[in-house]
Amino acid sequence: MSATADTLARDVVAFPSRAWFERLAALMNANRTRQEQLGYVDCIAQFTVLDGAADGGALAYRISFEEFEALGVEEPTTRDLGPADFALEGSLATWREMIENIAAGKGRPDLEHSLNRLSHMGTPLQLVYTDPVRMDCYFRFNQSLQEFVNASALFTTAYGR
Amino acid sequence: MNEPVPAATIGLAGARASLLTEAQLAHYEASYRKDYQAWAEVLGENIERIRRGSFSLHWLKTDGGNWGKRAKPSSRGLTYTDINRVRGYGDIPEHADWFNFAPRGSIREPYRARMPVVDDYTVTARDELWADNVITLYEEAKARQWNATKDIAWDELEPLPEDLEKATCQLCTFLTEVEFVAGDFPAKWLYRTPQDFLEVKSFLATQLMDEARHQEVFRKRAIAGGGLLHASPGFEWALKAILDAPSHTMGTFLLNLLGEGLVLSVFRSGEMIAKTQVDKEIFRRCLQDEARHVSYGVLELKNYLATHPERERAVEELHRFADIGEQVILSAFTEAALVEPVAVLLGGSLKQIDKGMEGLGHMWRMFIGEYLQRCTAAGFDRAPRCTIPLDLPWGVAA
Repeated sequence: MSATADTLARDVVAFPSRAWFERLAALMNANRTRQEQLGYVDCIAQFTVLDGAADGGALAYRISFEEFEALGVEEPTTRDLGPADFALEGSLATWREMIENIAAGKGRPDLEHSLNRLSHMGTPLQLVYTDPVRMDCYFRFNQSLQEFVNASALFTTAYGR
Repeated sequence: MNEPVPAATIGLAGARASLLTEAQLAHYEASYRKDYQAWAEVLGENIERIRRGSFSLHWLKTDGGNWGKRAKPSSRGLTYTDINRVRGYGDIPEHADWFNFAPRGSIREPYRARMPVVDDYTVTARDELWADNVITLYEEAKARQWNATKDIAWDELEPLPEDLEKATCQLCTFLTEVEFVAGDFPAKWLYRTPQDFLEVKSFLATQLMDEARHQEVFRKRAIAGGGLLHASPGFEWALKAILDAPSHTMGTFLLNLLGEGLVLSVFRSGEMIAKTQVDKEIFRRCLQDEARHVSYGVLELKNYLATHPERERAVEELHRFADIGEQVILSAFTEAALVEPVAVLLGGSLKQIDKGMEGLGHMWRMFIGEYLQRCTAAGFDRAPRCTIPLDLPWGVAA
């Protein structure tokens, strides 16, 4: 891990929050060598925590990937797809279980907690899309997206806003 | 170190490299003698000039060319999109009329009459091949290549209980069997495609490489885990139908959109039901490649139908092709040698195969639903005529 990534890894970040996804984006960008091994990622992915808000409503985070970088994180006011190619939606409990599993595996989920494993049957994560060609981006860049969330093992996550 | 393998150890003892018959050799000689005047004239002029010690330097002249307009790289380097922005290089003809290797954008017109014609270049219409995402997918494919020898942690492969190992190896045998048709099909059309459609040819070359790697990785996985198991007639008929498709678009529909769409679903299921991290990594890597091929298939069909001067006839023709194609593909996807190992892996053991079939039924609906969505995205409303059952007909006769 680079010195920048090491610095980024030290403190505690709340989930779900824009800061949590910005931390993942910063870690991805600090580890460009790995991204160059995996190849281009060109898509806009949305991660939605269906019951993440204080009032039990949904919170969504939209990450723009281009080339080898996460360009930015937005927090749209609704869970609508907007410009996103696809969204992964799930409950806070599901996301938490996945993040804790990745942390326990030191950056690698066990067989039951990969993104594809959790979303393939439409539950507990659901892949949401309107255009099947743009939805295919989820598959075309799956390894990169998996490693994007795997980086959560590099810092401590606190749950609840 | 790679040592040469003695032929005897790989079953070639007694085999001979082929020799042409006298008639075959004479035919080849005659075919080139037929054009003797054309190429011998070029050769004669070249020899004469060299003997004279004379320079031609005609290649320094730029009339009729596009000299001096330099391509500028973008953030990713110098892509086809970047060089196609330079005037004179990015015009992809609707109909190719150069049937040799003279590069698009070069000064070639003055030499046309003296150049040979490659008879195999038969796909002359751009819209039999083109997809709006083909350059993007080509760049993506190059950037996301991987190596089945060293990028998979083979030394971490764990032995599984016999039923799960056999199910995994049977699934890998199926995938080994089907993957190379997805290489042979683009290869068949690659060499029929004129050089002016270089972007499509380049993408098809990456598909060939991807499929070689898939065949390789599943063969390796099976042999590392116990061995290859059963080939199946149902797979073979589906593969033959793909290879025999009468046009590039029809074959691309059958292979990239339907066949690879279903194989993409198998890869996603494979990742989901993988019993080792090694298997998970293999399926995840492969599904990324497969999704590119599916994406090309959808947008190629979309472009074909959107630009066809007789769209209704083209759609009807495609429906008739799909009526057969779907059934032949179904013969592969209903084979016991595919359905049953997937059900065992889904259920968790041979004893739980019935439970696995329930899960497979759920996935089947999803697979066929996604196929029909892709057809719709391509402008091909297949849902009313789809011949594949929307629900897995498991046990309906019981």
